[in-house]
Amino acid sequence: MTAPSLASYVTKRPWLSKLLKPVAGWYSNAALYRQMGLKADDLISEENADVLKALGRLTPKESYDRIYRIRRATQLSLQQKILPKNEWTKPEEDVQYLSPILEAIEAEAKEKQALDTLVPSKAGH
Amino acid sequence: MICRSALSRGSKLALGRQGARGFAAAASPKASYEPTTIAGVKVASRDDNGPTTRLAVVAKAGTRYEPLPGLTVGLEEFAYKNTNKRSALRITREAELLGGQLTAYHTREALVLQASFLREDLPYFTELLAEVVSQTRYTTHEFHEEVKDIIHQKQAKVDASAVALDAAHAVAFHSGLGAPLYPTPSTPIDSYLNEQAVADFAAAAYSKSNIAVVSDGASEHGLQKWIEPFFKTVSAQGSGSLNNVASKYHGGEQRISAVGQNSVVIAFPGASLGASSPETAVLAGLLGGESTIKWSPGFSLLSQAAAPGAQAKATNYAYSDAGLLAIQINGQSAAVKKTAEAAVKALKGVAESGVSQEVLVKAIAKAKFTLLSGSEVGGVGIVHAGANLIHGGSPLKVAETLKAFESVTGDKLKAAAKALLEGKASVASVGDLHVLPFAEDLGLQV
Repeated sequence: MTAPSLASYVTKRPWLSKLLKPVAGWYSNAALYRQMGLKADDLISEENADVLKALGRLTPKESYDRIYRIRRATQLSLQQKILPKNEWTKPEEDVQYLSPILEAIEAEAKEKQALDTLVPSKAGH
Repeated sequence: MICRSALSRGSKLALGRQGARGFAAAASPKASYEPTTIAGVKVASRDDNGPTTRLAVVAKAGTRYEPLPGLTVGLEEFAYKNTNKRSALRITREAELLGGQLTAYHTREALVLQASFLREDLPYFTELLAEVVSQTRYTTHEFHEEVKDIIHQKQAKVDASAVALDAAHAVAFHSGLGAPLYPTPSTPIDSYLNEQAVADFAAAAYSKSNIAVVSDGASEHGLQKWIEPFFKTVSAQGSGSLNNVASKYHGGEQRISAVGQNSVVIAFPGASLGASSPETAVLAGLLGGESTIKWSPGFSLLSQAAAPGAQAKATNYAYSDAGLLAIQINGQSAAVKKTAEAAVKALKGVAESGVSQEVLVKAIAKAKFTLLSGSEVGGVGIVHAGANLIHGGSPLKVAETLKAFESVTGDKLKAAAKALLEGKASVASVGDLHVLPFAEDLGLQV
């Protein structure tokens, strides 16, 4: 499930986006997942039907890489280590590979809900 | 109570009508589709002012034109899936709300997207069909989650008679028309069929030069008004190429073992769509097969030839540049063998001694009815009208064809049957090959 987000509100206002960007960058680094070689979308909880469906729609390559990153991070966590600095996830590599698919699936579900509960009315009423 | 005089009067009337009645008059002028061109789109329309309309896009995308195996069925299953404008779910629900029906099916030559709906909903469904043709997204997840499953399910339903008919086409025409109508589970299509290949095929096939819009029951004015704005998004010339090979008749024999079902197809060169060979249609009517009246096997040669436990029927499969007159026999292996022998014997009988006048009259009447009811109800008329247009011909002239049927004589029929038997046949047997006969044993040349 995607978390509630103010992202669209912020990106629509350039001044706000400019103001918050360094803060966001700092936060992402401070969250330490990049130091474990993960991407932000790797942190989305899998225990959810929509997310499982979205994972099924990844390309084989994306899916393989994701499992690799997660296994590496698990191992690091076990060993109480972080990766050497040159293997950290670079900010430009930290792209959303899962969220767009997840959003599409949620939009489908929302549309289905809307269509299931719609009440037809005669034209002109 | 039916008195004797009434009966004889009725039959006299029926017989009298055969010769006297002007069928050109009986077939209303609306029976044929009228070809026009609206904003670069070929349109065939017919309007009988009924309350419902059938609108179809007939595309040159049948199995004969697919560049790689399986693309036609892929494209067919992608019909009414997500488009750039709306989701597959929305398309389904909206069509339901309007009481419409959406179908997609294919023949060897054409892929048909057909909508049936209430007359006043013409704008909505015109927009929908244009959108499906030009803006379907062919997404990867739909291919894996839906399209593939449905194709596998339909493949599992391909039965012996379909396999035999495909095999007969394959030996008759090799590539092109010889491509299977539906790939069987053992046809290797997985390496060819994917959403990208389907999208490329769609880009080649769904262009104004390769589609025809056929409407049955929509007003001329409505079509003029709505086709132009909605079909603007369809490209004028397709990108990529279709598998365009002229058909050539080869003939031959094919035997495939299968468990459970038995089918034999005996096929000869038939009449193509545009060809004026009324003998073939009348011969198909004469061979017939399926009884059309109750409590009687009927007059047709095949229904009399059929042994208990087997069904036989003759059909002329007409394509744009070739035709195949096929006798299909299905049932238990021993009965199929007997029926096949009897069917060839019956055909030889026609070639040697012709047919009686009475049987000829019945065969002509049957051929007429098949033509008229086929073009009136069901999709046959729509598919034929569209197929003729996309191949550069004009829709079937019903009245003229009926007249041509009238002119068939016993001698012409005899000559036609003789020509068939002298040429090479295409024979396909599927099932218990220990029992099913070879073409040579049937007395056919292959």
